[in-house]
Amino acid sequence: MEIIMAILAGLLFTTGVYNLLQKQLLRIAIGTALISHGAHLFILAMGGLKGGAPPILVEGIEQYTDPLPQALILTSIVISFGVTSFLVVLAYRASEVNGTDNIEELRGNDYE
Amino acid sequence: MSNLAILPILIPLLAGMWLAFIAKKLPLARGSAKLLSILNLAVAIYIFFHVQQNGTLILEMGAWKAPFGIIIVGDLLAVTLVLTTNLVAIAAAFFAPKSLSDKQEGFYFYAFFFWLISGVSGAFLTGDLFNLFVFFEVLLMASYALIVLGGGKAQLRESIKYLLLNLFSSMLFVTAIAFIYAVVGTVNMAQIAERVQEVEQQGILTTIAVLLFFVFATKAAVFPLYYWLPNSYSVPNPVVSALFGALLTKVGIYSILRVFTLIFTHEPGLTHNLFLWLAGLTMIFGVIGALSTHNVKLIVAYNIIPAVGFMLMGIGIFTETAISGTVYYLVHDMIIKGALFLLVGALAHLAGTSDLRKMGGMIHHYPFLGWMFFLASLVLAGIPPFSGFIGKLLLLQGGLAEEEVIIVIVTLVTSLLILFSMIRIFIGAFWGEKNEEITVNKRAADGYVWPIAGLLALSVTLGVGAEWFYPAIQSIAEYLMAPELYIDSVLKE
Amino acid sequence: MLFAVLLPFLASIFIPFLAKWKDRIHTGIFVTLVPLVIFIYFIQFLGTGFQPETRSYSWIPSLDMNMNFYLDGLSLLFVLLISGIGTLVAFYSIYYLHKSEQLGNFYVYFLIFMGSMLGVVLSDNVFVLYSFWEFTSLSSFLLIGYWNHRRGSRYGALKSMLITVFGGLSMLGALVFMSVITNTASIQQMITEKSIILNHEFFPLIMGLLLLGAFTKSAQFPFHIWLPDAMEAPTPVSAYLHSATMVKAGIYLVARNIPIFADSEWFFVIVSGFGIITLMWASYMAVRQTDLKGILAFSTISQLGMIMAMLGFGTKVAIFAAVFHILNHATFKGSLFMVAGIVDHETGSRDIRKLGGLMTFMPITATLAILATFSMAGFPLPFLNGFYSKEMFFDATLDLESTSNALAGFMQQALPYLAVFGSIFTFVYSMYFFFGTFRGKAQISELPKKPHEAPIGMLISPAVLVAGVIIIGLFPELINKPFISHAAASIYGGEIDKHIYFWHGINLPLIMSIAVLAFGTILVLTRTKWEAIYRFIPGPLSMNKVYDGSVKRAETYSERITKTYMNGSLGRYFRLILGAILIITFGFMAATTGFEFNMAYSAEITLAEILVAIMMAVAAVGTILAKNRVAAIIILGVVGYGLAILFVIYRAPDLALTQLIVETVTVALFLMVFNHLPQLKMRKQAWSTKALNLIISIGFGALMTLVAISAHSSKWFDSISSYFVENSYKLGGGDNIVNVILVDMRGLDTLFEIAVLGIAALGIYGMVKLRSNKEEDA
Repeated sequence: MEIIMAILAGLLFTTGVYNLLQKQLLRIAIGTALISHGAHLFILAMGGLKGGAPPILVEGIEQYTDPLPQALILTSIVISFGVTSFLVVLAYRASEVNGTDNIEELRGNDYE
Repeated sequence: MSNLAILPILIPLLAGMWLAFIAKKLPLARGSAKLLSILNLAVAIYIFFHVQQNGTLILEMGAWKAPFGIIIVGDLLAVTLVLTTNLVAIAAAFFAPKSLSDKQEGFYFYAFFFWLISGVSGAFLTGDLFNLFVFFEVLLMASYALIVLGGGKAQLRESIKYLLLNLFSSMLFVTAIAFIYAVVGTVNMAQIAERVQEVEQQGILTTIAVLLFFVFATKAAVFPLYYWLPNSYSVPNPVVSALFGALLTKVGIYSILRVFTLIFTHEPGLTHNLFLWLAGLTMIFGVIGALSTHNVKLIVAYNIIPAVGFMLMGIGIFTETAISGTVYYLVHDMIIKGALFLLVGALAHLAGTSDLRKMGGMIHHYPFLGWMFFLASLVLAGIPPFSGFIGKLLLLQGGLAEEEVIIVIVTLVTSLLILFSMIRIFIGAFWGEKNEEITVNKRAADGYVWPIAGLLALSVTLGVGAEWFYPAIQSIAEYLMAPELYIDSVLKE
Repeated sequence: MLFAVLLPFLASIFIPFLAKWKDRIHTGIFVTLVPLVIFIYFIQFLGTGFQPETRSYSWIPSLDMNMNFYLDGLSLLFVLLISGIGTLVAFYSIYYLHKSEQLGNFYVYFLIFMGSMLGVVLSDNVFVLYSFWEFTSLSSFLLIGYWNHRRGSRYGALKSMLITVFGGLSMLGALVFMSVITNTASIQQMITEKSIILNHEFFPLIMGLLLLGAFTKSAQFPFHIWLPDAMEAPTPVSAYLHSATMVKAGIYLVARNIPIFADSEWFFVIVSGFGIITLMWASYMAVRQTDLKGILAFSTISQLGMIMAMLGFGTKVAIFAAVFHILNHATFKGSLFMVAGIVDHETGSRDIRKLGGLMTFMPITATLAILATFSMAGFPLPFLNGFYSKEMFFDATLDLESTSNALAGFMQQALPYLAVFGSIFTFVYSMYFFFGTFRGKAQISELPKKPHEAPIGMLISPAVLVAGVIIIGLFPELINKPFISHAAASIYGGEIDKHIYFWHGINLPLIMSIAVLAFGTILVLTRTKWEAIYRFIPGPLSMNKVYDGSVKRAETYSERITKTYMNGSLGRYFRLILGAILIITFGFMAATTGFEFNMAYSAEITLAEILVAIMMAVAAVGTILAKNRVAAIIILGVVGYGLAILFVIYRAPDLALTQLIVETVTVALFLMVFNHLPQLKMRKQAWSTKALNLIISIGFGALMTLVAISAHSSKWFDSISSYFVENSYKLGGGDNIVNVILVDMRGLDTLFEIAVLGIAALGIYGMVKLRSNKEEDA
C-alpha cells in the first residue's frame, strides 16, 4: 500500500508543480497547497501503514500505529496553514497594488 | 546550567511577544528593543564563554532523554553563530529607528525582528532535524512579514517570489525528513548520524542527502538556486536587508555545514565534490551578477552569493583547515554583510537614489560614511589584514593542500571582481565633483554612522586580532571533523 | 625594526589633527621627519661588515602570520631608497602642494604607503608581505585618485588598482601554494627547501602566478598600461611611488625569489623575455609622448624592463648591474620627476609641444635636468652614474650562461641587439625630454603662467638627487663594498667581488654604447621624418584598448548573462531550479544505485484506500483543468478532504480532525480572497513551455515517488516510536500518544508552530492595514 500512496503523493507533487509553473497567482497558490498535501502524505506513508490501533492507549492492545509521523504531520499542517494564509493575502495585495494577477507581469527591473 | 542553552531562543521569543503588545507605544518599543537586544547579547556572550570553558551544553527539552525528546545542542559552533547573530541584531536594533517610518515600527517591526532572531538562534542550536524545519519556518515567516512591511509595489512583488520559492523548499524539506525517517527511523540528528554511519550511507541515503542539500542550498543561495535572492534583498528597508543579508543565507550554509560534517560524511567523493563544483559556479555567477547592475543595493545583494560560494568551497574540500576557513568566513560574512547593507541603505537614502550613475561626490558631504564604505569594501574583498582575508587564506590553504587548483583560481579571480564591483560604487558614488545642489542631511547621516561603525570595528578586530578568535574557530573545525564527539555528547548513556 | 615599519602608520593617525593647523604650519613638515628618522635608523647598518639581521614579533602565530623581519643587503637597499627618497619627496611636496589642498588626506595616504612599502621589503613572512603588498596598491589607488574630481584621476586609479590587485591576488596564490608544500611561511626557509618547490607537479603554475604579481606591480609589458595613467597623481607621488619605490616592488619580489627559481630554465626565458620586450616597447613609446610625465612614465617602464631582464640573466654581472641600476635609476628618475613637477608648477603646462626655451627662465632647473637626462641616456661621461650601469647591462647581455634550451639559446643570441635597440630609444627620449623643454624657441604666450625659476625649497630635493648622480658617477667604489655588493650577494647567494670602472678599454660593450650614441643622435636630428611612424604604431596594438575593452565587456557581458536568467520571471526561476534538482538528484541516484524495491515492509492493499486514492488523483488533475476559479478551489478542497479520509483509514484521528478544519478554513479563505481577483483562465503559454512544464512536473513527481519507494524499501532500523508507546502514559501522563508527543516530548515544536501562526496573523494584519504612502495618495 505504501507504494501506491507514494505514487499518489508523487502525483500530488506533479500536479502541484505543474500549477506552480502557471502564470496566475490563484493557480500557483493551489499548486503550493497540493504540494503540501503531497508532503504530508509522504510522511504518513514513510512511517509505515501496517495495521495497529490508533495511537491512543487502550488497556490490552499492544500494537499501535507509529505516533511520531502523526505528530510531525500535525505540526506541519498547522505551519502550512499559516504560510498558505499569508501567501493568499500577499497574493491578493500584490495583485491589487500591481494591477495584475499574472506573475509574469510582476517582473520589475533593477531601478525602482 | 544546561538550561542556559534555551535562553537565546526563549528571550527573543518573549521579547517579540512583549513588543507585539506595546508596538503602538513607539518610544517604549524602541527603548525595550534596544535593551532587550543588549540583554540577549549579554546572555549570548555568557553562554559562549561558558561553552568554551565547560564544553558543549546539552539541553533535553522537558527532560526527555535523547533521542526521544528534542535536544538543544549548544556546541561551540552553534553558540559562536548565536553570538554573532546577536551582534548584528544589536546594530540593527539601533539603526532601525533611524531608518524606518513610525508606521512601520508601529506595525510590529520589533516583534518580527525578535522572532526572526529567535528562529535563527533556534536553527543554530537545535539537535533535531524536524525541529530545525520548525525553526526555519519561524525565521521564514518572520522574514515574510518583515519584507512586506509597509511595502509598495516592488516589495510585494518580490516578496511573493521569495515566499513561493522558500515555501517550495520547505515542503521539500519535510519530505526529505520523511524519507530519512523511513530509512533510519529517527529525526534526532545525532542518532541519524550514528545510524547512517552504521550502514555506511549506502543505497538511497546519498540521494536523500542530495535532496536535503538542495533544501538548504535554496536558503543559502547556492548556484543554481539563488534567483530569489538579489531582488528580494534589495527592495525592503535597509535594516531588513541587513538582517536578511547577515543571517538568512547563513542559516542555510550552517545547515549544510552541520548535516554534511555530522551525518552524510561517507561519500565525500560524490557529495562534497558536487559542492566544490557548485561553489565555483556560485562564485562566478554571483560576482557576474554584482557587475551587471548599477543599483547599489543590488550590487551588495549579489555580493552575498560569491561569499556563499566561498563557504561552500570549504565544506566541499572537507579538511580541517578548509572547514575552519568556512567557519571563519561565516562569522566574518554575517558581520560585514550587515554593515554593507546598512551602508548602501544609508547611501541610497542620502543620495535620494540607488542608481549609481546618478550619484557622485558624496565623500565631500559625508566623508565618514565614504571611508567606512571604502573600508567595508576592503573587508569584503578579503584584503589583509581584515577579517575576510583570514577566512579566505584558510580556504586557499585547504584547497591547495588538496591540490584543488581550479577552485582556488576561481576564488582569486572572484575576489578581484568583488573588489571591482565595490570600488565601482566607491568611485562612482563617493568620488567626483562636489555636488553643491545636494541637500546635506548631516543629522540623518550621523544617526546612521554608529551602528555601522560598530560592525566595521568588529570586522577589523576579527581580522587584525585573529589570534584571539582563531583558536576557537580551529577547535570548532576539529570538532566538526570528528562527528563522534557530537554523537557521543548527545547520546551519552 | 618593528617600530620603523609601524612609525609611518602611527604618524598617519595624527595627521588629520595636524592638518587642522595647516594654515599656520604646512603638514608636510611633520611628515618629512618620519622618513628622515627611519633613514637615519637604517643607515647605521651600512658598512663592509654588514650581516643580515632578523627580528621576530608575533602577531597571529596560530596562522603562522608573524611580523618576521629579515634585513639583508637587498632589503637594506630598498629600505634606504624608500626612506631616503621619501624624505626628499616629502620635503619637495611642502612646496608643491598648496595649503588649500586636502593635505590631511594626502599625507595619510603617503605615510600608509611608506609604511607598507617598508613592510614589503622587510617581511620574511609571505602572508605579512602580501598584506603590505596590497596596502601599497591601495594607497597608490588613493593617491592617484587624490584629485578625484578629475575623470582621468578616477580612471587611472581604478586601472592601477585592478591591475595591481589582480597581480597581488595571483601572487597570493603562489605564496600560499609554496607555503603549503614547504610547510613554512618564511621565504628564507623556502629557499632552503627549494627542491620541493622546483620538483612540484604544479611548479609552472606557482612560478607563473608569482611572476604575474611581480610583472603587474613593476609595470612589465603587457601590464604596463596602468603606469602612464597613474601620472594623474600629484607629481611628488609619481616621483616616489611610480618611479622610485612601489613599481620596484615587483623587481624586489623577483630578486627575493631568484634563489628559489633561478634553477629553472624557464625563469630566464620568461623574466628576461618580458623584461627585454618591456624595455624596447616602452622606450619606443616614450618617444611618442607629449606630456613630460608621460615620457617619464614610459621611461620608467622601460628601465624597469631592463632591470627585470638583468635579474632574469641571473649571472653575477647581471645581478650586480641590476642592483646598481635600481639605485641609479632612483636618483636620476626621481630628480627628473621633480623637474617635471617644477616645470608644471611654474609654467602651468606639461605639454612638451607648448614648452621650449625654458633654460633662460629657469637655469638651475635646466642644469639639474641636463645632468639627470644625460645620465638616463647612458651618455659616456665619467661623472654620470647612468653610464656605468648601462655599460654593465651590455656587458651582461654578452656574458650569459650556456643553456641547452633551444628557446633560451635563441634569446641569448638576440639579446645584445635588442638591448642596443632599446637603448637607442632611451637615448632619443632623454634628449627629447631635455631639448624639447629647455632649448629651442620659447612660446611664452602659449603657457598659462609666465615661467620663472622655482623657489629654492623646491630645488633642494632634485639637487640632492642630482648630487647623488654625480657622486656615484665620480666615486662608484664608495657605494660598492658597503652597499651594492651586499644587495647583489643576497640575491646571488654568494660573494660578489666586482669593481666598477669607467674605462675598460675598447671592448664590445663600449662599441655598443657608441652605436647607441650614433644612431640615437641621427634619430634625434631627423625626428620630424619619423613622426608618421610614431603615430602609426601601436594603433590597434595598444594594450589600453584591451584593458578598456575588458572592463567595458565585464560590465556589458555580465549584464547580458545575468539578464538572461535573472529576468524576474518566477516561472523561469522555478524551471531552472527544478531542472537542476532533477538532473543532479537523478544523477546521484544512478551513480549510487540508490533505487531499491522491496515489498517486505508494506501493508496490504485494500479497496477503500484505492478508491480514495483514485478520487484524490482525479481531483488533483482536475485542479489543472478547471476553468472556473470556484470550481478549482472546491476541487482542491476535495483533495484535502480525501487526505483527511486517508488519515482516518490510517488510524490518525487527530490528524483527520485537524486536516478537516484546516482544509475548510483554507478553502473559505481562498474563496474569499480570490473572489476579488479576475476569473481563472488559461493564460497563453507557448507549446514548448507547456511541454517543458509537463516534463518537469512529471519528472519531479516521479523523482519523489522513486525516492520514497526506495526509502521505504530500506527500512534498516526500528523507529524510535516504541519508546513513545511505552512511556506515553508512564512518563507523559496521557493516553493519546500523539498529543503527549506534541505537548511534551516535542513541545518545542508545538510552541514554535504556534509562534509561526502568530507571526502570520500579525503579518497579515500589517499587510492589510499598513499601506505605503503612495498607495494611500492614489
